[in-house]
Amino acid sequence: MNTGQLISGLAHTGLIGFAIFGGAFKAEPMPFEVTEVTAISAEEYAALVARPEPDALANVETPEPPDAGEAPALTPETDAAPNTGASELSEAPPPDAAPEALPEPAEPETEVTDEPPAPPEPPEDVAALVPDALPDAAPEPSPRVAPEPVAQPEPDAEIDEFDRQASEADEAAEDPVPDEQETAREAAATRIVTEAEKAEAAAPERSVRPRTRPAAPTAAPDEKTAQTTSEPDAVNAALTEALGGAAEQAGGTETRAAQGPPLTAGEKDGLRVAVQQCWNVGSLSSDALATTVVVAVSLSEDGRPRNDTIRMLDSSGGTTASARQAYEAARRAIIRCGARGFDLPREKYASWRDIEMTFNPENMRIK
Amino acid sequence: MTRHVLTLLTALMVVTAPALAAQDQQGARDGPLRIEITEGVIEPLPFAVPDLVAENTQAAEYASNIARVIASDLAGTGLFREIPRDAHISRVTNFASPVQFADWKAINAQALITGGVSVDDTGKVVVQFRLYDVFAGQELGQGLQLVGTTSSWRRIAHKVADQVYSRLTGEAPYFDSRVVFVSETGPKDARKKQLAVMDYDGANVTYLTDANSIVLAPRFSPDGDRVLFTSYESGFPKIYVLDVGTAARQVLQTQEGTMTFAPRFAPDGRTILYSLSSGGNTDLYAMDITTGQSRRLTSSPSIETAPSFSPDGSQIVFESDRSGSPQLYIMPANGGEAQRISFGQGRYGTPVWSPRGDLIAFTKQSKGRFHIGVMRTDGSEERLLTASFLDEGPTGSPNGRVIMFTRETQGSGGAASLYSVDITGRNLRQVPTQTGASDPSWSPLLN
Repeated sequence: MNTGQLISGLAHTGLIGFAIFGGAFKAEPMPFEVTEVTAISAEEYAALVARPEPDALANVETPEPPDAGEAPALTPETDAAPNTGASELSEAPPPDAAPEALPEPAEPETEVTDEPPAPPEPPEDVAALVPDALPDAAPEPSPRVAPEPVAQPEPDAEIDEFDRQASEADEAAEDPVPDEQETAREAAATRIVTEAEKAEAAAPERSVRPRTRPAAPTAAPDEKTAQTTSEPDAVNAALTEALGGAAEQAGGTETRAAQGPPLTAGEKDGLRVAVQQCWNVGSLSSDALATTVVVAVSLSEDGRPRNDTIRMLDSSGGTTASARQAYEAARRAIIRCGARGFDLPREKYASWRDIEMTFNPENMRIK
Repeated sequence: MTRHVLTLLTALMVVTAPALAAQDQQGARDGPLRIEITEGVIEPLPFAVPDLVAENTQAAEYASNIARVIASDLAGTGLFREIPRDAHISRVTNFASPVQFADWKAINAQALITGGVSVDDTGKVVVQFRLYDVFAGQELGQGLQLVGTTSSWRRIAHKVADQVYSRLTGEAPYFDSRVVFVSETGPKDARKKQLAVMDYDGANVTYLTDANSIVLAPRFSPDGDRVLFTSYESGFPKIYVLDVGTAARQVLQTQEGTMTFAPRFAPDGRTILYSLSSGGNTDLYAMDITTGQSRRLTSSPSIETAPSFSPDGSQIVFESDRSGSPQLYIMPANGGEAQRISFGQGRYGTPVWSPRGDLIAFTKQSKGRFHIGVMRTDGSEERLLTASFLDEGPTGSPNGRVIMFTRETQGSGGAASLYSVDITGRNLRQVPTQTGASDPSWSPLLN
């Protein structure tokens, strides 16, 4: 090893040590300015900026245009290098190139007078095309009482304990049939409450004890990490992979642009909620409710599912027949709630063009 | 020196930046977006069934009637909701013409049933129908054609509804079935009871016995052609077998001076289980009705009654108070050691094994109220479906999805009527009957 390399190595080592331990990379707090501000309302701000422009213009003193004949003479001499007191190792900057002569300032075309400028003519107002009779028509007062009697609104539907059929008039009957309305149907629910449970829920006997504090989770050893660090060539492999990825990306900029950024967790949740609103499992058999299906679908750019692309990729937990029922319910959910297009960011189309949805009814089963 | 440091840092950025960027793009390169749906909604599926197309003038009266029965069957399950005919945009005037799916989508009909009906020269009613998934824009399964007599048009309608129900839910059908029950008339202290059989929806009632004697607990045979019941015609409770087609009946001969009741057919249709009370003790017996030979299954000093076979005929669930209060037990079909399966608070009785074999329905009395409930065959996952002054005597539909039972109102004027409820606890509804009704027993699906 020659002397030059030794000196260079020592110098670099010292520099790196200085950089690491000497605080060269410590982030100094950025200087900041303190400016006093006053909070004002929008009306105050509007009043502040709405000043009469013509007066202001009238008081402006217009500077005299510079005399072209008094322009400083330009010399072709080079500027002297400034004495900065830098170390001797730094080289002197090269001399500046001789600047070209500046063009003569242009004469002002118009003279400024004290008279305010004439306001520009407003464009033709579309409202002026409305028939003349309209502005003259006085607005009619809206009636507070309807001119004609209206029917009384129907009372709210009541959910009965059990289903009743609406009574029908029976002319042959001796006793009149009492009026009885058909039972109103309950709306959609995410949980089945039986008659027995309703009775229990009305009179709670005792409150639920607060749960005990959960035990602190123990950190499981990361096998993948341990395995990776134990291998001697792990760093080299990672670098090689990264460099390979860089090389790939260098040649594939267009592909990256087409794929766009991935969906955020919130955007995924939005899609999930949109689909589950239409995933109706109320008419499924108990076998179908025990079947998980994976359904693939491709969306068009407006977020609508392409019906011909919907297909079942996989199923588990049930028979072929129950998988078919579960798949058809999933397909209905995708088509119905996607009829107007799912709310997905168009710039990320490549991320959601093809979707695999797993419909897992475990939480919807009868418990 | 500064230049070297900058060079070193630049090199590090060149190496690491693409790796980080590649990690960000990993998701996009991994393939399709994957999401998991775990929460849905439970609501009836909207369907539309316009009147069937009458192919000839004789069929005109059936076109609307059959459609109404189909709609009633499906809506009566609580799993479907009919979209009223007034809301229909499209009018189906030709069974063979293509369906205008957009019109049915507009009213949110997710399933559509179209059909045609005709009456041929021999007086047979011919019904064709198709089922569509409106939003998928395609037919579900293949169209079917059913033929029957004009008097059996309701059965044809039930069969169409059965096909639609099975295709949409995946469950076995149950609409084309009958229920035998005890019809009750008169005041509570002088009530007259007679056996009757009806369609599962309360239509087509036929009386099987007169009202001269008290009858109890009718039970269909596995084929649906016979009915076992208990009658006080002789003064003592005796078990009778009745032929549903001819209404002919015969008494099962048992020991003199004993009371026999709570009969139930075995799945083979030849063996019956019953309770025999003698000397203050009640035990379970099995009888071969072809030979009349009986054998004793239990010999406990307690009361054993209300036996019911498992669908495969290998086990029996019954009620016993051997533990001090009525509870449910399971034992082998030939007798032997019984295992208690009910451990909740209250009294359990009238157990019935589900036709699917997975659940046992029962009556439970607890805290002054009666419940109909279900539990697994090992006693786990007990779930109470109803609660009232008096609910009792459950019977399962042929597919095991619905339970029918007796509900009696309180007071001196209290009357019994039939109710049905889905095994999930949804869709509790009264079965329309012309008189008071109790003790229902559901037949198997008719052929």
